[in-house]
Amino acid sequence: MQLGIEHVVPIPLKDKINEYNSWIWNQDIVINPGEKVFIQAPSGTGKTTLMHLLYGLRNDYEGKIHWSAYNMTAIRPEQLSQLRASYLSIIFQDMRLFPELTAWENLEVKRRLTNTITEHEAEKWMERLGIGHKRDSLARTLSYGEQQRVAIIRALLQPFEWLLMDEPFSHLDHANIKKAVALIREVTETNNAGLILADLEDNDFFNYTRKLLL
Amino acid sequence: MSQITQKKLLRKLLLRQKSNNRLWVSLLALCVGTTLLLLSVMVWWNFKEILSGKGSNDSLGSTFLTIGKAVTNESMAKKGATFFTAKEIDALKGAPEVQDVGMLTSNRFPVWATLNTNIAFATEMFLEAAPDNFIDKQPVNWSWEPGDAQVPIILSSDFLNLYNYGFALSQGLPQLSPQTIQLLAFNLKIGRDPYTETYNAHIVGFSDRINSVLVPQSFIDYGNTRFAGGQVIAPSRLILKVKDPSDAAFVRFLEERDYTTNSEQLKWSKLRSVVDAITSATGLLAILIMGIGTLVFILFIELTIAKAQQSLSLLLQLGYSPGYLSRFMFRRFLPLVALTQGVAAGLAMYAQYIAGEKVKEMNLALPTVPGWPVWTALLLSTVILLAFVSSGIYRAMHQQK
Repeated sequence: MQLGIEHVVPIPLKDKINEYNSWIWNQDIVINPGEKVFIQAPSGTGKTTLMHLLYGLRNDYEGKIHWSAYNMTAIRPEQLSQLRASYLSIIFQDMRLFPELTAWENLEVKRRLTNTITEHEAEKWMERLGIGHKRDSLARTLSYGEQQRVAIIRALLQPFEWLLMDEPFSHLDHANIKKAVALIREVTETNNAGLILADLEDNDFFNYTRKLLL
Repeated sequence: MSQITQKKLLRKLLLRQKSNNRLWVSLLALCVGTTLLLLSVMVWWNFKEILSGKGSNDSLGSTFLTIGKAVTNESMAKKGATFFTAKEIDALKGAPEVQDVGMLTSNRFPVWATLNTNIAFATEMFLEAAPDNFIDKQPVNWSWEPGDAQVPIILSSDFLNLYNYGFALSQGLPQLSPQTIQLLAFNLKIGRDPYTETYNAHIVGFSDRINSVLVPQSFIDYGNTRFAGGQVIAPSRLILKVKDPSDAAFVRFLEERDYTTNSEQLKWSKLRSVVDAITSATGLLAILIMGIGTLVFILFIELTIAKAQQSLSLLLQLGYSPGYLSRFMFRRFLPLVALTQGVAAGLAMYAQYIAGEKVKEMNLALPTVPGWPVWTALLLSTVILLAFVSSGIYRAMHQQK
């Protein structure tokens, strides 16, 4: 799946964007399947906005975004859900777990949608990221770090061609980041998928094919 | 470890209502509304069935009427003024609600009845004949051919009543049951002296429909030919098969032409308009209550969705399709709709059964299961209700992002 971003300008950021040279806003960009893209975005430049636009969560922008044939400006709700269930996965900056469900139930909500990953595998991943013992704890009782790891695993429980990550490791220490990066790399490779990671500071978690400044 | 199904998770996320009072109230209103609607349709239909019903409801006189022309002071002077002309009979055939017109032929020759018992009894009498298809309960031996010594007679049940409750009591004569009367044989002497013929007559049945003494058509025709020269005489009484004698247009038709009939048979027209008014008022009320019930039910659905809004939008963000979630919601509310409609249908069936049993005591017949208009009303109200529910869910679902 190829990502095309054509002269996209989010309406709330319109005035601000004209003041500096963004590599993405109001540019014509094509990102090829399987690419590993890092987007460095100082705070306030619209990093989360970009991720939400790519994921189809908001429409308040000018320009055009398309994932191959899916035109995000004119996508129908049913198509959007198909895109999200099978091609596009995301790790939200704010995690977005169901607070009233346990860690395991949060994973099951996603896993059972497509049943691509077995229960056993999902359990193994929890162990790998060190949250196996939190399996039956309610999500709202988990620490941010634990929640973030549940959110990471959840994003991997579906088939995808692209993985979007918005500050995915902000609440993790180095050791846990290492484990999470290894898991993400592994699953991304299995899926032959590309990834787009947005963060405040430069990093080399993955072998990026290009780095862009927002 | 117990398996968590997807449905179970969705229920946990979307349907965590603590207080279901609103739901039960709305379901109750829906149920009451539907039941009232079905009952009003049922009352209307049952009444129609009794009026235009077949067979055993005939004793109401609802489907057959005998009519004549009113005898007035003017008509008294003119001979034949109360006879029906061919034109008038044709007009009657085309009158509203009239399905068939039959002529009552009367005897144009003297008839004497004598009892051949030790009670000396003789009386002059009249006979009439009606087309066979107008006779309600045609006895098996209802036929006569020239040369037959036996003449069957059908007597109006009113005559028997007159005798039993009027004549017999006042004269100190024995009251007679229909069975006893049928055992009595008497003689019929017809014609003018010296040309008379005598027949054995016996009563073979009673009619609720025709107020007369009926003999087979062939007997009257034979007598009229033999003793009255066979000239065709216009009938003065007609028997009508009427679909709905309470129909206002039909009643007006009779009134305009000054035709008389058993006015009792037309009392239904007044009753009918009362029943119509009551059923339509009940129907309106039923629709109102159903409307309110539906409204509360849909508000409940919208409230459920609004309460689950956060979970719902997160589910959509995770790739659940709006169609799938709508169907999940719909399936949750479908059994509740089915329950209310089912209870209403059950109550209607029970009411119809009770009604059927009750009218049986009045010698009327009603089916013991509700008829098609009731089922149609049920089907229609269910379809409309489900349409409202699904559009309510659809609207609420598509407000999510």
